[in-house]
Amino acid sequence: MELLINPVVLYLACALGAVAVWIAAPRARISPQIIGFGVGALALGLVLAALGITTPSGIPNLYFYVFAIIALGASLRVITHPRPVYAALYFILTILASCGLYLILSATFMAFALVIIYAGAILITYLFVIMLATQAPTEDDVDALSAYDTTAREPAVAAFVGFLLVAVLGAMLFKGTASLQPLPLPTASADAPLAILPGRVADALRDADLIDDDEVVATDEDGSAMVDADLRQAIIETTEGDRRTVAWPDELSATNVEGVALSLLFRHPGTIEIAGVILLMAMLGATVLSRRQVEIDEDQKRQQAAALARGNTPAGGGS
Amino acid sequence: MNDLSSGMLTLAQSGFPEPMLQATLAHYLVVSLAMFAIGLIGFLTRRNLIVMFLCTELMFQAAGLALIAFGRYHMNYDGQTFVIFVLTIAAAEAALALALVVLLFRKKDSLDADAWSALKG
Amino acid sequence: MIETSGMMAVLHAAILAAPSSAKEAAAFVAPETGAWWIALIPLMPIVGTILATLCAIRGIKTKLPAFLTVGCLATSFLLTVAMFLNLGDAPTITTAWEWFTLTWGEGEGQTFTANFGFYVDSLTALWMLFVTGLATLIALYASEYMSHDVGTGYCRFFAAFNLFVFSMACLVMGDNLLLLFLGWEGVGLCSYLLIGYFYRKPAAVAAAKKAFIVNRIGDLGLVMGILLTFVHFGTIEYAEIFAKAAPYIELLQAGRISEIPAIAQLIPVLLMIGAFGKSAQLPLYIWLPDAMEGPTPVSALIHAATMVTAGVYLIARTYPLFLISDIALPIVGWVGALTALLAATIGMAQFDIKRIMAYSTVSQLGYMFCGLAVLTSAGAAFHVLTHAFFKATLFLACGAVMHGFAGQLDLRKLSGVRKMKGWGIVSIAMLVGCLNLAGFPFTSGYFSKDMILAEAYATPGTALIGWILLLTAGLTAYYTFRVYFRVFEGPVEYHPGDDLHDHDHADEHGSGEEQHHDVGEHGDHHHAGFHPHAPGWAINAVLATLAVCSIAAAGLYFVNKKEHGWVGSMVHDSSANYVGTAAFLDHAAHAGGVTGDAAHEGATHAHGTFLGYDPHKVMYYVSAVVGAIGIGIAFFLHLLGRKHAETARADKVLPALGPIPKWARNKWYVDELYNFLIVRPLWVISHIFHLIDKLFVDGLVNLFGLLPRFGGSAIRPSQSGVLHGYAIGMAGGVAILMLVVLVMVLR
Repeated sequence: MELLINPVVLYLACALGAVAVWIAAPRARISPQIIGFGVGALALGLVLAALGITTPSGIPNLYFYVFAIIALGASLRVITHPRPVYAALYFILTILASCGLYLILSATFMAFALVIIYAGAILITYLFVIMLATQAPTEDDVDALSAYDTTAREPAVAAFVGFLLVAVLGAMLFKGTASLQPLPLPTASADAPLAILPGRVADALRDADLIDDDEVVATDEDGSAMVDADLRQAIIETTEGDRRTVAWPDELSATNVEGVALSLLFRHPGTIEIAGVILLMAMLGATVLSRRQVEIDEDQKRQQAAALARGNTPAGGGS
Repeated sequence: MNDLSSGMLTLAQSGFPEPMLQATLAHYLVVSLAMFAIGLIGFLTRRNLIVMFLCTELMFQAAGLALIAFGRYHMNYDGQTFVIFVLTIAAAEAALALALVVLLFRKKDSLDADAWSALKG
Repeated sequence: MIETSGMMAVLHAAILAAPSSAKEAAAFVAPETGAWWIALIPLMPIVGTILATLCAIRGIKTKLPAFLTVGCLATSFLLTVAMFLNLGDAPTITTAWEWFTLTWGEGEGQTFTANFGFYVDSLTALWMLFVTGLATLIALYASEYMSHDVGTGYCRFFAAFNLFVFSMACLVMGDNLLLLFLGWEGVGLCSYLLIGYFYRKPAAVAAAKKAFIVNRIGDLGLVMGILLTFVHFGTIEYAEIFAKAAPYIELLQAGRISEIPAIAQLIPVLLMIGAFGKSAQLPLYIWLPDAMEGPTPVSALIHAATMVTAGVYLIARTYPLFLISDIALPIVGWVGALTALLAATIGMAQFDIKRIMAYSTVSQLGYMFCGLAVLTSAGAAFHVLTHAFFKATLFLACGAVMHGFAGQLDLRKLSGVRKMKGWGIVSIAMLVGCLNLAGFPFTSGYFSKDMILAEAYATPGTALIGWILLLTAGLTAYYTFRVYFRVFEGPVEYHPGDDLHDHDHADEHGSGEEQHHDVGEHGDHHHAGFHPHAPGWAINAVLATLAVCSIAAAGLYFVNKKEHGWVGSMVHDSSANYVGTAAFLDHAAHAGGVTGDAAHEGATHAHGTFLGYDPHKVMYYVSAVVGAIGIGIAFFLHLLGRKHAETARADKVLPALGPIPKWARNKWYVDELYNFLIVRPLWVISHIFHLIDKLFVDGLVNLFGLLPRFGGSAIRPSQSGVLHGYAIGMAGGVAILMLVVLVMVLR
């Protein structure tokens, strides 16, 4: 079993990466972040080049490199930018780059879900909170930044620890990956989801003028549609009850959304429920946590308690 | 092996349903690892509470990337399904974390994590 | 010699019960089991201790503890008399309690047995008679002497007093060397407690420590001797030792002394070191003069009569072991002789009368040791007995003087005490004691000293010792009567001592001491209103009894005269002399012929002479003359023409002797020599050890204490409350963990 990458190169790259992050960390004085980025790029390039040279057949798409560089560069900027808002914005850039990577990996649904949920919801929340929790700038210096934003805390130790972890993880992963056998090809074809989507199949066939408008996909005794995904054919039933086999058109194939949906609903239904419950809990928790405590004096408290005991709606200040 | 030209046209497919080589997987894992490391270092380095949580989100990102890559490698939808849940959890956690950060900010009027060092011991 | 005066006859008849069975050649006689009540003899003093302690706890402030003590000790004495009357042919052993028996094998010398058993033979009876008798009398004396201190101190005194008698009883009556050692240490302890009775006086405390420490040095020899005895003989019980030593005795009697193994010859050398320590011989005598810091009853009982004779007793008891050794007895003899001479010279130059008596004790102990060395254990034992009586008398008389004159003991400050009212009995007792000590003819001291002197000349090879002892006898007579003529004779004059401010004499004035008006009141330190306090009934009674006893002891010389007196008969039946019995047979048969060491010389009846005359016959006259010369010189120098207490004719003679009197007064600088040779280096070493203790030992302990502190202060900063610190810790921990796993996986 040959290694995917020379371990020395890996460790060297990790060391370089640590140095890069350390250089790029924000400091009170001017910090040479450009140099940090440069060294980081060097480290990354080293690893990827090493990987590529070892197994030239495994070089991915060109766009992988593009998105990878954007993602890593933006994430580095997230952690090194003194202003929190900029950090959030760079994070959004990271998300977009990740989205690109997901697309290359043919996870189309997840790519867009990522952008919608993460960039569209979570990050907006972050930005709101940043705006809420920023101290009012003084009149002298409107753009003043607090010390805790500008100064990194022990960047050397953090960089060392982080890249030690990466080196170890990387070594293990590459060692493991090299011996990783790909799972056997799925017995089901990639179009297997279509087997339970007769409506879609029928629409596609109709669009391709292979069947008439009033013909539907036949169902067998169990009630399941007689669509064969492996052979890429469907059994069509005419209005008179005749059946004939029609081959799918070439461009008919299951989309990623369908695959994910079916995987989610068929194979992990309980998890959906649990996820829903978790979200509910989070909502409740957030609501409870962010209540503003109002100070009521003793008299009003007594009045409220008495009112509650009588069953009336409480009057006076409430939360 | 992917042809560069065909790669441009089949951007979204990346050779699917052809199996991915291990070496290719390694590339994606490198990116995932690097992003995770950067997120970790950011968490350890920054003192602004919100930016610290942002870095945890970055780590989630990296994990998600690794999951998708493995899902593609094994050519089933489990990876992507799991990423949906990762996203769910990340959202829930972000909500609660930010609520707490707001509370903390109200107490000390500062987002500095070191302001709470009296909680030692 | 005088054989049948009336008193002697009565005494003779009374002592007829004493065994005189030494007619046969003595093989070693195996002991029988003794009566159970023998064990009460040491037990009664323990009862006394407990009672005295109870008195202390209850806070009794009367003389009750003293009378309880006298009662217990008197009971012990009566039991001792009963024991004496019950003596049989063989020694008896009464085992009171099984102390311990250790066995680690089946063979010889693999069992160590030591019991609280009491070995009773005639030597034991002899010793116990005068120990318990004197203890009773002196306890009575002390009841009055210590009466100014009633309260806790009084009880403490009598508790220690009783404990001392118990220890002495264990020492004398023990049936094995370990019990002897127990008693040995016990008497040392009680001596320490009693010397340091006035514990607020630094001098007393220092003296007590000195006594204890010097004794300990001797005890080292004793312990080694006991251990060596066990190693060689396989036992430490007397009965078995004597049985096992019997073959050596036969070798001795056959004249093949060189065949006796060297270890067996070494044992007595070690034992004698202990004896030297306890009995204040050269070089370990330095504690005894300082021990006079203790109360006078203590000095009388312990340091005159009983404890210091323990060394003599030890040698007497283990006499067979000493006889079979080539080197032991000569060492004993020479040490004794030199000690006697040295102590006498120092005593001549002292002014403190108790101290003079102390040096005379050292000197007389030298005589006793010499007696043992020249093979007259009977003479030594007789001298022990007479010395006990007359020395106790002397000490108690000095104590009465001290008690009456507020602690004044300097003979330059007292004079003419005999002529004071109420001091008659004291003076007579003092005179009797002095006559005995000086060896005035027909006193008991005369006869006992005479036995030793005669034997010293008679035994071949010890003539020089005899001359030294004779010279010492003259010196003894001189300094003894120096004391008497200065303190008790001459013009009446007295100065109170230092205790005047300590005690309240207001309530203790006895019968009319109004003579301070007609007494020559000298000096400016004569307190107005001080008059001497004549002794009360208890002191007088005891002094009278003891004086009578010292005179009566002379009669013991004539009982069983053929066996060297009553004492001699007692000694001959014991282990102290069973070898020489054959020799004494010859001696008795051809009067004045054979000497004690006929066993050494085989068939020859050689014996030494005194300037050509038979020592046994002429020594009486010689020592009388020497004594008279000494007394005469003392009279001339210290009484004739003396007008004041301060000086006498002697002071005019002193300059002619040059620096020698000053050296003698400074005790020949022996203490200073020891200080330089031994004490100083020990101080240095102890300081070094103190430093080592402080730096290393304490440092090590402190280091152990500091380590957690350091560890804590090293780890404490990690609990800083800073979020990032914890986070780095977690991340680093995970990284290291994974590193470990990776390394293990790679392996």
